[in-house]
Amino acid sequence: MALTNASKVKEDVWIPTCCGQCYCMCGIKVRRQDGVVTEVEGNPDAPTGRGKICVKGLASPHLLYDPYRVNYPLKRTNPEKGIGVDPKFVRISWEEAMDLIVAKMKACQEKDSRGLYFQATTTQASEIRYGVTGFMRAFGTPNYWVSGGGLHCGNGAHFMNGIMHVAWSIIPDFAHCRLPLNFGCSKGHGAGHVAVQNATQAADARAWGSRTITFDPMQSAQASKAHEWVPIRVGTDGAMALGLVNVLLNDLGVWDAEYLKYKTNGPYLVRPSDGRYMRDKETKKPLVWDLVDKRPKVHNDPSVTRVQYEDQAHDVALLGEYEVDGVQCRPGFELLKEHVKKYTPEYVEGITFVPASTIRRIGKQIAENAEIGATVTIETDEGPKKIPKRPIAAHFFRGSQGHVNSGWTCLSIDMINHMVGAADTWGGAMGLGAAVGAGYKPTGKPYQIPYPDNDGLLMCRAWVYDHVPYPLRKPKPPTRLDLHDMFPTSIYNAFTIMNPKWFEMLDVFKIPYRPDIMINFGSNSVMTMGNAEIVTENFLKKFKFIFSFQLYITEFEEAVADIVLPDTCFLERYTPAVSFPSTFSHPTGEDDWGWTIRQPVIEPMYERRDFNVVMMDISKRLGILHKYYKALNDVTVVRYGGAMSDEYKLCEDGSEEHTWEEVVDRMLKDRFGPEHGLEHVRKKGVFTWPKRKEDVYWKWFNPSRVPIYFEYFIDAGEQITEICRQFDPEKKYIGLDWSVFKPLADWYPCPTHTEKNPEFDLHAFYWRAVTQTNSMTQQNPYLDEMSQEDTIVFGIQMHSRTAAGKGIKEGDLVWVENPEGKKIKGWVTLSEGIEPSHLAFAAILGHWGEYMPIAKGKGAFFNDLVMMDEPHTDPLTLNQDICCRVKIYKA
Amino acid sequence: MGSAKLDGQVQSDWRWLIAAYLFLAGVGGGAYLAGVVADLAGGAEWMLVSKIGVFLSVPCVLIGTFFLLADLGTPTHAWRVWMKPGTSWIARGTIIIVIFMILAAVHTAFWIWPFAGPLEVNESARHFLGILGALFAFLTVIYTGLLLGYSQPIALWRTALLPVLFFVSAISTGLMGIMIIAQSMGIAVAQLDLMENIDAVILVFEVFVLAVYVYNAYRTLESRPSAQRILSGPVASYFWLGVVVCGLAIPLILELMGRHGAILTIGALLGLFGGLCLRFTILVGGIYTPMRAAGFEFARIHRPKDPIPAMGKLPPS
Amino acid sequence: MARYGMVIDLNRCYGCYACAMACKVANRTPPGVFWARVLRGEMGVFPNSVRQALPVLCNQCEEPDCMKVCPTGATYKTDDGIVRVDKDKCIGCAYCVIACPYGARYKVDDWKSYFPEGLPLSPYEEHTKQYWEQKSGLGVSTKCDFCIDRRAEGKEPACVQACSAKARVFGDLDDPESEISYLIKTKRGFVLRPEVGTEPKVYYLPPR
Ligand SMILES: Nc1nc2c(c(=O)[nH]1)N[C@H]1C(S)=C(S)[C@@H](COP(=O)(O)OP(=O)(O)OC[C@H]3O[C@@H](n4cnc5c(=O)[nH]c(N)nc54)[C@H](O)[C@@H]3O)O[C@H]1N2
Ligand SMILES: Nc1nc2c(c(=O)[nH]1)N[C@H]1C(S)=C(S)[C@@H](COP(=O)(O)OP(=O)(O)OC[C@H]3O[C@@H](n4cnc5c(=O)[nH]c(N)nc54)[C@H](O)[C@@H]3O)O[C@H]1N2
Ligand code: SF4
Ligand code: SF4
Ligand code: SF4
Ligand code: SF4
Ligand code: SF4
Ligand SMILES: [Mo]
Repeated sequence: MALTNASKVKEDVWIPTCCGQCYCMCGIKVRRQDGVVTEVEGNPDAPTGRGKICVKGLASPHLLYDPYRVNYPLKRTNPEKGIGVDPKFVRISWEEAMDLIVAKMKACQEKDSRGLYFQATTTQASEIRYGVTGFMRAFGTPNYWVSGGGLHCGNGAHFMNGIMHVAWSIIPDFAHCRLPLNFGCSKGHGAGHVAVQNATQAADARAWGSRTITFDPMQSAQASKAHEWVPIRVGTDGAMALGLVNVLLNDLGVWDAEYLKYKTNGPYLVRPSDGRYMRDKETKKPLVWDLVDKRPKVHNDPSVTRVQYEDQAHDVALLGEYEVDGVQCRPGFELLKEHVKKYTPEYVEGITFVPASTIRRIGKQIAENAEIGATVTIETDEGPKKIPKRPIAAHFFRGSQGHVNSGWTCLSIDMINHMVGAADTWGGAMGLGAAVGAGYKPTGKPYQIPYPDNDGLLMCRAWVYDHVPYPLRKPKPPTRLDLHDMFPTSIYNAFTIMNPKWFEMLDVFKIPYRPDIMINFGSNSVMTMGNAEIVTENFLKKFKFIFSFQLYITEFEEAVADIVLPDTCFLERYTPAVSFPSTFSHPTGEDDWGWTIRQPVIEPMYERRDFNVVMMDISKRLGILHKYYKALNDVTVVRYGGAMSDEYKLCEDGSEEHTWEEVVDRMLKDRFGPEHGLEHVRKKGVFTWPKRKEDVYWKWFNPSRVPIYFEYFIDAGEQITEICRQFDPEKKYIGLDWSVFKPLADWYPCPTHTEKNPEFDLHAFYWRAVTQTNSMTQQNPYLDEMSQEDTIVFGIQMHSRTAAGKGIKEGDLVWVENPEGKKIKGWVTLSEGIEPSHLAFAAILGHWGEYMPIAKGKGAFFNDLVMMDEPHTDPLTLNQDICCRVKIYKA
Repeated sequence: MGSAKLDGQVQSDWRWLIAAYLFLAGVGGGAYLAGVVADLAGGAEWMLVSKIGVFLSVPCVLIGTFFLLADLGTPTHAWRVWMKPGTSWIARGTIIIVIFMILAAVHTAFWIWPFAGPLEVNESARHFLGILGALFAFLTVIYTGLLLGYSQPIALWRTALLPVLFFVSAISTGLMGIMIIAQSMGIAVAQLDLMENIDAVILVFEVFVLAVYVYNAYRTLESRPSAQRILSGPVASYFWLGVVVCGLAIPLILELMGRHGAILTIGALLGLFGGLCLRFTILVGGIYTPMRAAGFEFARIHRPKDPIPAMGKLPPS
Repeated sequence: MARYGMVIDLNRCYGCYACAMACKVANRTPPGVFWARVLRGEMGVFPNSVRQALPVLCNQCEEPDCMKVCPTGATYKTDDGIVRVDKDKCIGCAYCVIACPYGARYKVDDWKSYFPEGLPLSPYEEHTKQYWEQKSGLGVSTKCDFCIDRRAEGKEPACVQACSAKARVFGDLDDPESEISYLIKTKRGFVLRPEVGTEPKVYYLPPR
């Protein structure tokens, strides 16, 4: 056993670091006894978790020591690739592996460096933002994706949350929110971005009497804990939300006028001819109608703006018709109010299966609980300040966003908050994590205070990627293999790269190069994206050479990897920043800021090597090491709140090399001062400083507005239509309906909702079990065992009555088949806790990999039913549709 | 309303070894009882039968206790069972068994040369010893039912019918044991016939007790899952084939046919096997009652077991 | 002398299994052994059905059935009311396992690996095996001991510390000022299977 010298030492220590079994980044403490990692606990010093931890984090010793971990570089000796093909891996030396890799990469660099595709797992999000992105810049490739990540969980959600909250996600201000509304998310109940801390917050909220309503097709953990479970048909949350907005605006006449007037673009005047803003001739700023001076003013004219709640300003119009420069125009809010009239409760009932009376009642509950007009006083650096108290919050995530209506659905749900002024203020829907902060006082870093653009709209300063959600990029002739440059609102997409005619498409769109090398950092895209055969045949097999950093030989490596490199797991490596950018997985609320790091609790075993270190090594061998350093310096600006100072910048001129530990040290010293480098931070595993209340409830301290009328989508729609027409006039390759780019939210049906064949009578969808992370943890025997304790994890959940109607019994083996003829096998578990026309699947189960025996053969592989084609793509955000219409029959 | 498919956890700590012990203690105790009755009621004519009964008891119970020992996690510590004789049925039971075995051994011994004299001659002493022994044989046979019945969470066992059932089965299987040996020793046909008839009556009674027992178990909400497990669940084959067919129906039919020789032996052996199956069925039929709290029933859903991981491929090293 | 007990707030608990796993890791319990466990319940008919988790562990009963049935005296109560098994006295008859009304006991005959048979043990498994054999022993009955070793180090029980919902509170039932005494009194605390008369010291607060 290649244990290090440490094993001979008598010791018993607890080392603070950060968990990495999902992207929540909880602070943990790990016990090492005589060189062996034996226990894991929460780290009370870390705001992310505050001493609490989840079932997966606790189980991590088995991940570290799993005998099935990859411990040496491996080379595929069977040239054939594909699912079910034996790769015939053989062990090779690191030297040989590096030589092979570097030779291929050099060739790629010479030909066209863009032939390199980076695929990474969201589960190791901190590495994606830094090492992965940095390397891509240094090497010169724009091509990457995180497979199921994003396309399942965020193209719509993150985009909209970014626009509306400068955050990756949103979350109720649990400490004060009286009525959280959960639309298809487990936040606070076992999943989401800050799972553990949110669970504490949600439990505290239950204890003081906060009452939750959960919209979910199944009785998930959050539905069981809610005061009311509203079983909803998959993919219809957008209609539900617009129905609620309609009840508020048109039935009840309830809205937060102050908020809408001064914190949204609701008062911006819109001309009827083309839906554009009326703008000031000189400044090009949008105009609002001053009801006191009875004339138009630019949106940020001091007389019509209120930054803080107690500021005074003239009243502006939200309703009515006004003449500006001879044009009759109306405020955007009025257009919205008119627009949502068609979402009557009866109409929405037909779509969602939720009774109209329930919709009316919940609308009323929202109106009552929002306490429009109420305020609280908080203690800020400038003394006590009054801010609105709005204790309701509609929030959402993977469940409601995973559909062809993704973007608009997310926005529609959030619109509930904005109608009643419950956004980023006391008790309302907050950007998650802590989206706004002026940094640690002595250094002013990380600095992430959003600001308004010329149109007055909210701009991110800190973001997970370079391309902030607003303003939209202008669609450009594509350079990327997924044509991403053409699409202004997405991060990446699947419908292009999964197209059987992908290369033909690349010709048509004049992409001068082809996929060449893929670097995979962790992702098991064969399982996490959609139908495994499509992913493998249409996409992965198009690469000539694939090398993968992994912990296990997963289905991905078995099918397509040429080289597998044995990575360290999170317990064996340094990561400089895990709870930052804070918009990703830093807790919201009044607790302190915390910058968590990851440090090894044990030397890497066998020949495992840290991905980060290897990437530096590869850069060096490719002669781009200092480009890589520069890229790391550059990505720091947006992600970690400000540029690196000259003193701590990584060397860009070739005069100096850094170890990875030094990189970590420099980042810390740069952010928190020379005395707070690695040596200091490693003692607690986290650096903390107090959060200002005005950064928690930042809405009424920031001069920005958010859109409720998406004027700029009109331009985007026109631009995208035009650019597609240029390349593909007959819409042979891209037939997406760009008309969804319009200023007001709507709900669009998924193929699931329009399926005509009555045989396909059920809706299938998936949910997250608290005991599993995506496709990753099934090999952990502790977690496998614990999942078996949960009665609904491994079976296909089905309603008892529906099953009885089909002669299906508990435990029966069944086939579930989609209209495209893809089918999966599993056994049924019956329940009353699911809407009767639905089937629910947990996590990513049904592994078949030979090298993961604990995971193998358990549960059904839902994703094989997921089609990654145009009909299943949201035109607005290119998000993947992950609900499907199915039939079920006994196997 | 609880959902019907909720099924509690199955009792899995006591299985074949304990079943064998319960069974052998039953056969031993039953045979002894039968032997004593034969002596008391039959007199000299039935001496052989009585001797067989008494002779059978010690080895059966002794072998049974070996099974019991084998089931212990740390058999070497077995002597500790007497550390706290007051409250535990295991402690009480082992005391009963030991006394019974001593009495039965004495009884056995006195029928063997050179001790044979006193008991054969002194009928009243023999009867006294027999009655005393029978008392402990009786306790041996029924205490196992009480032992199981003390388990709070397994409703299937918590009934006064269980000791009755064990008692009836013990007598019947004891008699069967005696018959097999008696026949091979060439006992009188009339005596065999009589024993067969008596056993048939007992079997009929056992069918009745068993039916009431199972019916009761089914009727009681707490034990219904156990009853279902026995009647139609994974234990059903032991119950229907082992207990009902082998243990009751076939011996009864054969006994009623009144044929001797190999047929009698087969019937009796099947009956003995049925007795073993009866104990096993009742042990592994036991299901822990689901926990009820706040209106819910908490248990694990009964569902297929996922495969135990087989050795996968290890990454090359 | 303290009389230790626990309160589990079913309103806070969301069934996350962290307690069960924390116990597993803290006590190195082998496969199939759950000193702490989370059970699942479902009630009612759609759409009015409800699900609830019920975390269970040894109740450290005042009148423990497990102790009554134990023939050897291996099961005993400490001065502070914790029911323990003396592995050197236990003969592994499993009577206590069968008699405990709460399914809190596990008899472990052989230590088993979590991985398929035939693999060498990982360093972690070597460690857990040693730990288990030394502390709990083989062929004997085992159960939760309210984390006696952790408390000796001044820590809370592992299941209490892990619980992100803060649903579990550990404390002294005899101290009327303790948080758990207060919770039991003011929040309708109840015990499981009160009818069996074991007088559990783990209390539950109602789910809603
Ligand atoms: N059916 C279904 N499909 C889903 C989901 C679902 O819940 N159900 N979830 C979707 C979502 S939201 C997402 S984000 C994606 C996630 O999909 P992926 O990004 O593929 O993530 P995981 O499935 O978590 O797999 C993580 C992989 O990374 C490896 N890994 C873990 N740690 C390390 C490390 O430190 N180094 C290296 N080199 N490798 C590591 C693990 O071995 C594992 O193979 O899946 C999506 N697809
Ligand atoms: N335990 C655990 N935690 C995780 C992860 C994990 O795999 N396991 N993964 C991490 C990742 S990558 C992500 S993206 C986050 C995701 O975090 P969440 O989005 O909060 O998690 P999910 O469980 O996927 O939430 C989806 C819920 O929506 C329901 N649902 C499905 N379809 C619909 C629908 O159309 N409408 C409505 N209203 N509900 C629907 C499902 O039943 C489920 O309860 O969690 C992160 N944390
Ligand atoms: S929530 Fe994620 S990061 Fe936190 S302990 Fe669990 S697995 Fe680890
Ligand atoms: S850790 Fe807490 S919330 Fe999770 S199951 Fe246990 S008691 Fe419930
Ligand atoms: S719960 Fe069971 S094991 Fe624990 S003390 Fe009570 S009877 Fe004994
Ligand atoms: S198994 Fe051990 S502790 Fe349990 S009753 Fe038997 S001797 Fe006592
Ligand atoms: S108190 Fe300790 S031993 Fe008992 S259940 Fe909790 S973690 Fe396990
Ligand atoms: Mo995700």
